[in-house]
Amino acid sequence: MHSLRLRLLVLLSLVLGLAWLAAAWFTHLESREEINRLFDAQLSQSAQVLLATTRHDIQERVEHGEEGVAVHEYEQKLMFQIWDKNKLLLRSAAAPDSPISSAKAGYSETLLSGQPWRVLTRWDARQAFMIQVAEPMAGRESLAQHITFKLLLPTFIVLPVLLLLLWLGIGAGLKPLQTLKKEITQRTPNHLHAVAMAGVPEEVSPLVGALNDLFGRLEQAFNSERRFTADAAHELRTPLAALKIQAQVALRSTDQAERQAALDNVLRGVDRATRLVEQLLILARVDPETAAAHYQALNLHELAATAIKDVAQMAHAKQIELSLEGAPTCLVLGDAMQLALLLRNLLDNAIRYSPVGGRVSVTLHQGPGVALQVRDTGPGIPANEREQVLQRFYRISGSGEEGSGLGLSIVQRIATLHGAQLQLADNEQGQGLLVRVIWPVNNLN
Amino acid sequence: MKLLLVEDDALLGDGVRAGLKQAGFAVDWVQDGLAAKVALDSEEYDLLVLDLGLPKLSGMDLLKSVRAKRASLPVLILTARDTVADRVAGLNAGADDYLVKPFDLDELIARLNALLRRSAGQVELTLQHGAIELTPASHQVRLAGTDVSMSAREFSLLHTLLLHTGRVHSREQLEQTLYGWGEEVESNAIEVHVHHLRKKLGSDLIRTLRGVGYVIDKVA
Repeated sequence: MHSLRLRLLVLLSLVLGLAWLAAAWFTHLESREEINRLFDAQLSQSAQVLLATTRHDIQERVEHGEEGVAVHEYEQKLMFQIWDKNKLLLRSAAAPDSPISSAKAGYSETLLSGQPWRVLTRWDARQAFMIQVAEPMAGRESLAQHITFKLLLPTFIVLPVLLLLLWLGIGAGLKPLQTLKKEITQRTPNHLHAVAMAGVPEEVSPLVGALNDLFGRLEQAFNSERRFTADAAHELRTPLAALKIQAQVALRSTDQAERQAALDNVLRGVDRATRLVEQLLILARVDPETAAAHYQALNLHELAATAIKDVAQMAHAKQIELSLEGAPTCLVLGDAMQLALLLRNLLDNAIRYSPVGGRVSVTLHQGPGVALQVRDTGPGIPANEREQVLQRFYRISGSGEEGSGLGLSIVQRIATLHGAQLQLADNEQGQGLLVRVIWPVNNLN
Repeated sequence: MKLLLVEDDALLGDGVRAGLKQAGFAVDWVQDGLAAKVALDSEEYDLLVLDLGLPKLSGMDLLKSVRAKRASLPVLILTARDTVADRVAGLNAGADDYLVKPFDLDELIARLNALLRRSAGQVELTLQHGAIELTPASHQVRLAGTDVSMSAREFSLLHTLLLHTGRVHSREQLEQTLYGWGEEVESNAIEVHVHHLRKKLGSDLIRTLRGVGYVIDKVA
């Protein structure tokens, strides 16, 4: 049942119905008991009256030795027998010849031709005659039912009205939910502010709190997405401007060398824009949705070896010595493609910023956690800029290299998704940068 | 015209410098805000072309400090940010004009010429001096209605002298105006340009004040 209102109505109706049935049952019992008492009293009175009115009659019959005489009074509604010891002196027409009830005194019930009868057995004052007066139970039962029915009849009429009132009442009670619904439907991805908690019923306030949390997180995500798109567009504008200007300079130049230089710059610009677009795509693909679920155990050492092979050509061109040291098996849980990207970006940066003839080394440590270290012999990153370089599109001025400003952002994002920390430090082995990616506790365990 | 270009992007800066040089501007190019400040403190510029996203000292802060010292220097902003708020902020901080990247070289030159014209208090598009007409936008010089061809440097020299007729420009000032940093200036370069201009436009146009400099007298 999906409507809370209907659900409440049905539940309340059931409870109400049960209460009504119980009330009906008790009313019925009570009235039957009352009727019994009343009828018994009547029965007892009848017995006394019968005894009194028939005393003379009985005396005569005892003296004349008559027995079993049936009189026509009272007919079916009431039957009686008057016994003198074991002799039936007098009986009503419908009464049998044998004792109606085997009870020697008081009230009893018995079956006569399949019908239940209430019987009162009494003795006269001298204990000489016994009278049994019987009355069919059926009358009592139907009367009790009748009374019960009469008592409950108004509630039958009131019930539909009650249900209607309940329906309306529940609707009014659920009004805050309607208001809340309206309030929430107004939210759009551009408009995700929190729902005001004032006036929110106690029962739904945890729900609203959770929703507000979600709204907050969504808004943050949307904002960061928007900011990223805007940043990316702006970042593309500068290389495009450079391309356009360089092309125009080449077109106008009358000097062969100048034109050549400008055209070379156009090509460099295209390469740079291409790289920027590639990095943007990577950053967009490394999204948290693909995380955790299909992580598998990976050997960082193998991944690092592959990454080193991939950049070997680039390193060779700058006569940079590459090395891989440390634990030959270094297991972490993760996404193979993303970790390869992380390694690739770190190596790319290291080679890019190392001078010709420099050294780039990758070291792996497996302790309680796992540490990946990449050292280069480049200019390093000043301590006060180490936080900023992790921001998207931040470039260190005067580095002479034209990165996309995204490499370390990509590394940072992948590391975070894998529960690892990214640290930048001075290369303690001399000039250069040391990048550490640390899995605090081996995420395999 | 001496111009300071402040642009941190190497390819773009290089392109703008080359393009403006082709158009006859003497361009000094720096890649960060602090270097720009030093350059502005040590040299006289006719124009400042400024990127806003600069390392070390932001374009906005640089602009404010420039305005505090030299209220009249024409400043054009190159920016990747094109929201109204960005533009308003730039103009409010004291920029005279802005261009959103990517921009057209011709538009940049046209806007720079317009800024120069305005800063010289000149309203007409063409500078007129006797029979000589100089149109910066089209890089055209006419003498009595006939086109006169000349090199970018000769044009720039004539432009400078015509913009401030009656004012004497020293040889050093003119060298600075015509050549950017790192460009080799022969010791007699200005004399050579003046010589060429005299040959093309008449020997009495530019007057030499020995040991002081050169001047084009106001038309009486």
